[in-house]
Amino acid sequence: MTFDFLEMVLFAILAIAIVGAGAAVVLVGRITSAALFMAFTFLCMAGMFLLLGAETIAAFQVLIYVGAITVLILYGVMFTPQGSRDYGLFFQKQTPWAIVFVAFLAVPVMVFASSFQDGRPLPRGGDLVPLATSLFGDFAYPFEVASVLLLAALVGAIVLVKRDDEEIR
Amino acid sequence: MTPAVPLGAFIAVSAALFFIGCAGVLTRRNAVVILMCVELMLNAANLALVAFSRRYGATDERGSVFVVFVFVVAAAEVAVGLAIVLSAYRTRPVVNVDEARAMKG
Repeated sequence: MTFDFLEMVLFAILAIAIVGAGAAVVLVGRITSAALFMAFTFLCMAGMFLLLGAETIAAFQVLIYVGAITVLILYGVMFTPQGSRDYGLFFQKQTPWAIVFVAFLAVPVMVFASSFQDGRPLPRGGDLVPLATSLFGDFAYPFEVASVLLLAALVGAIVLVKRDDEEIR
Repeated sequence: MTPAVPLGAFIAVSAALFFIGCAGVLTRRNAVVILMCVELMLNAANLALVAFSRRYGATDERGSVFVVFVFVVAAAEVAVGLAIVLSAYRTRPVVNVDEARAMKG
């Protein structure tokens, strides 16, 4: 049983999810929902990177975009007042939907996982070795500049949100 | 071996997401949502970079290196952008960008 068609199917699902969730970020009114749709778009984009064979970039995508940037945006949402807050229980009482989704995901995953056979060994490292060779070879100077940029952003963010008034301390 | 998904399909998704983000930046008024849409546009550019890098420059991954730099710039941008939004909100309690007329405190 081969899965040659699976790449196209996965691409179609991911493309629809990316465009749909991206449109939902723009169209949906509730800002927390928009942030979560944005996180979903980033997650599907990581799947796109996996389809392209860029595993390291997909890992960075999950770590930085889905992890860090989404959390920062959610902090921004929480620190600024928004309109209505009547959607706090959005993720509760969803057990039937959870069962349906898990069944929908688990059956293809089990079929796919049971179809593996011992093939030829893959070259070690995937795309990590060429990526690191370029990053620390030809692009070592921009890499250092990027670290300086991160330091400047860190200091700038601290200075921007620092309170000047004495009675807070 | 010809890849199953053509390069143009990835570029089409990238362009669609870029224009969705662009429409969001132009139409939404909440500053935090505008930041989200900017992140969507950056991510769309990342997809195009990775797609071209994997399909044309398979030996040394130069396009993916630029994706790493885009990650760095996006992280710095969202940190400073949220700091600006919070600082501006503290001075004057508005989040909508067309109500905030001045950045001066």
